[in-house]
Amino acid sequence: MKKNSALSRAFTFLVFLFLYAPIILLIIFSFNQNNSNVVWGGFSLNWYRELFHNRIIMRSLYTTLLVSLLATVIATIAGTFAAIGFYGLRRRTRNVLNTVNNIPMMNADIVTGVAMCLFFVAFFAGWKDFALWFNSVQTLFELPTRLTLGFPTLLIAHITFNIPYVLLSVSPKLRQLDKNMIDAALDLGCTWFQAFWKVILPQIKPGIVSGALTAFTMSIDDFIISYFTAGSSSSTLSMTIYGMTKKRVSPEINAISTLLFVTVLLLLAIINIREARQEKLALRQQAAPASLPAAAGNPGRRKPRAPSWLAKAAAGIACTGVLATAAVGAFQNTRQPVVNVCSWGEYIDEDLITQFEEETGILVNYQTVESNEALYSLLKVGAGDYDVIVPSDYMISQLIEEGMLEKLDYDQIPNFSLIGEQFRNLPYDPTNEYTVPYTWGTVGIIYNTTMVEEPITSWGAMFDDKYAGEVLMFRNSRDAMATALLYLGYDLNTTDEAQLREAAGLIADAKSRGVYQAFVMDEIFLKMEGGNAAIGAYYAGDYLTAVENNPDLAFVIPEEGSNWFVDAMCVLKDAPHYNEAMAWINFIASTEANLRNMDFIWYASPNKEALEQYPAYYEALYEEELDQETYDIIAAPQEVLDRCQSYVVLPKETRRLYNELWIKLGIQ
Amino acid sequence: MNRTKAFTIPYVVWMAIFVVAPIIMVVIYAFSGADGGFTLANFASMGDYTVVFVRSFRLAIIATVICLVIGYPVAYLLSREGARFQRLATVLIMLPMWMNFLLRTYAWMAILENNGLINQFLGLFGLGPFQMIDTQGAVVLGMVYNYLPFMILPIYSVIIKLDHSLVEAAHDLGANSVVTFLRVILPLSLPGVLSGITMVFVPSVSTFAISTMLGGGTEFLLGDLIEQQFLGGAYNPQLGAAIALVMMVIVVLCMWVMNRFGEGEEQAVVL
Repeated sequence: MKKNSALSRAFTFLVFLFLYAPIILLIIFSFNQNNSNVVWGGFSLNWYRELFHNRIIMRSLYTTLLVSLLATVIATIAGTFAAIGFYGLRRRTRNVLNTVNNIPMMNADIVTGVAMCLFFVAFFAGWKDFALWFNSVQTLFELPTRLTLGFPTLLIAHITFNIPYVLLSVSPKLRQLDKNMIDAALDLGCTWFQAFWKVILPQIKPGIVSGALTAFTMSIDDFIISYFTAGSSSSTLSMTIYGMTKKRVSPEINAISTLLFVTVLLLLAIINIREARQEKLALRQQAAPASLPAAAGNPGRRKPRAPSWLAKAAAGIACTGVLATAAVGAFQNTRQPVVNVCSWGEYIDEDLITQFEEETGILVNYQTVESNEALYSLLKVGAGDYDVIVPSDYMISQLIEEGMLEKLDYDQIPNFSLIGEQFRNLPYDPTNEYTVPYTWGTVGIIYNTTMVEEPITSWGAMFDDKYAGEVLMFRNSRDAMATALLYLGYDLNTTDEAQLREAAGLIADAKSRGVYQAFVMDEIFLKMEGGNAAIGAYYAGDYLTAVENNPDLAFVIPEEGSNWFVDAMCVLKDAPHYNEAMAWINFIASTEANLRNMDFIWYASPNKEALEQYPAYYEALYEEELDQETYDIIAAPQEVLDRCQSYVVLPKETRRLYNELWIKLGIQ
Repeated sequence: MNRTKAFTIPYVVWMAIFVVAPIIMVVIYAFSGADGGFTLANFASMGDYTVVFVRSFRLAIIATVICLVIGYPVAYLLSREGARFQRLATVLIMLPMWMNFLLRTYAWMAILENNGLINQFLGLFGLGPFQMIDTQGAVVLGMVYNYLPFMILPIYSVIIKLDHSLVEAAHDLGANSVVTFLRVILPLSLPGVLSGITMVFVPSVSTFAISTMLGGGTEFLLGDLIEQQFLGGAYNPQLGAAIALVMMVIVVLCMWVMNRFGEGEEQAVVL
């Protein structure tokens, strides 16, 4: 065979460069001193150290590997056999099945996820009736009546969306296969299994390998289907990463990805070196006629290679290990008291979780989602059987309105007395029966002082031609509309259609004039830190994170006023672990926990002691004074709060109108 | 070969339970209103989204074509390399995707930004800055980057198993390399190409994160539109299901046409 020319090699190299450019960047930034993905702060192994203390990441890594490996193995076997089955079918039948096979790929992930979740939930309901009936007619053994989403459903979902990829990879190989070969093998006395093992399998092996690779890749990368099928006790790495996007993706993720990547690369290198050595050995043996039988099994090929017993043993050990730990993990879960918590990513000092577990013996399953709306969607389709959730104000009132929350037992939460007066009986929970505040903060404008001519003071900057192409707008309808409503001087919670249309018109007009560089959520860090945009509306706590990496940034709460928000802990109706939930809420409401959380996330605490003590705490910890300006940005003083308004839930028609206006804006 | 048909049974059962049944639920959703009753209202507004449909399909087709143009040569060249390099390369092609999608897309943002790596590099020569991020071009780049492996691998796995004596026969019969490629290798690798096109085009049509991150989030794609119904402020899963359904029907039609064309081609070759 002719070798490739240098030119074509260069082409292949360029394609590989294209595939690897972002990877190299990620690896470089995993050694970054600071937490930015754009601003280089010096070399450090910080994030690797942190990583091994981050149990949320470690746990989700474990789930990811387990579910991806199992799903890949099962899907590869199932897909391969299905492909062989397809091969013997008539074309018409095969075409129908092929179409069905393509469905999971064709469907938007979120629709697949929601559909599967609805299906599982419906099945569980049916199962409950069946189990109740079954338990009532006989007493030999008792069926569990309450099934929930969890690892098994996650695995089923992954297998289901993996099989089509395997099938698509194996089928073309089978079409190439000469049917006569199989017949010949059978004629020569092979059993069907032998024919499969010795004739079909070697022929279609490349297809199986690429199918398995694809399946594993899809599994590892999927997050949205996992969201809707994983339930409250297990979460994959991708889910954890997406959960972080409400705040910012932690560089520890870069570190873990680098480790995974390097591990695979090393494994590949080892295998390759071994193979090279063995090939040499085989060649030498082939030269000596005595060893001919060794090579006879594979005439015309430069094999045999791979110490199969070693590989098999290793695979066997790995599988048993994984299964054993899975079994132990599942067993533990059932015996220990548990509380299932759902919050935002990067929204808790994780040492608190460990401390709570040690103090109380209650295991905390900590899961994260990326937005209030995603949480609502999960709850609505029945995917989240959490105990404690931490939604924002307007979502809380919506959940209360729809009867989805349980009242709290404040006798079990003595630390509630530490919550400041101004954070009780807020409009979202006027009688304070459902909530204990977690954090609060304000919305304002972040701007780059070197890119604007004068300090920004008004929301008008968000619609001004002066900074065309340099402005970042919120990528969620409520916050985006709020900027326009504030500028126009309307109420943040207005339900007046004309006012809302006017506000949307203002944004649409600015968009058509090219004012906006992009609609962003946490991408704002990248854009503001790197000096790619001049102005962006965002949350105060996140400004403080960004300014660490780019000191040119400034923050202002515009003169027209703004939105201030509260995130509060609540318990879902029929929560399976109510008392454990109370213990958790009480623990998090304590002054110590609040101080540590405030320091970690830079959103203000509602605990009055923590709020007062924080400057001293900061000084003791970092041996430098916390300047008043920073403190005022974290915890806006009362006169600023007086200018701010909080969101309340909007009536359904208004929410629909918001959505309609928002989509119109996106279509435009 | 009759016996192999039995292998489809577990698959068919599995797919019926976990694919078809949930899809039926989507269909029911698409035809019901917020109160649960039957309605066609979800489809009535579909005309408003024509722009989005056109935009999504256009970008997905462009991305698929680019993937094919880049992916086919790579697969072909790879098949002519040494056996060991090939084994390594198949994994190397997939490996980038084991890093989380979100992280990789963030990295692309850092590369393409106005102040990003490319523009900084060009700035050294006094060029630019060029607007690369937040354009449709960036969205296509994101799609190509993400789905290129799904084009390369199926094509490669088919080419590698081509009967080499056919190529030799072609040469013996006087065909030069170009003719051999066009008349022998290309038609025989068509099944892989079809698989590749499906695996690139289909996820490209329904993607959403790529457009929000690389496209600036200002121009919705179908995926964004659907996602907005589930995860946006309004929570309207019925409309989301309806849009998804329409999208699927269009994709199925495309695939059906393509596969017909493909199968005919394959048989012509065999004959």
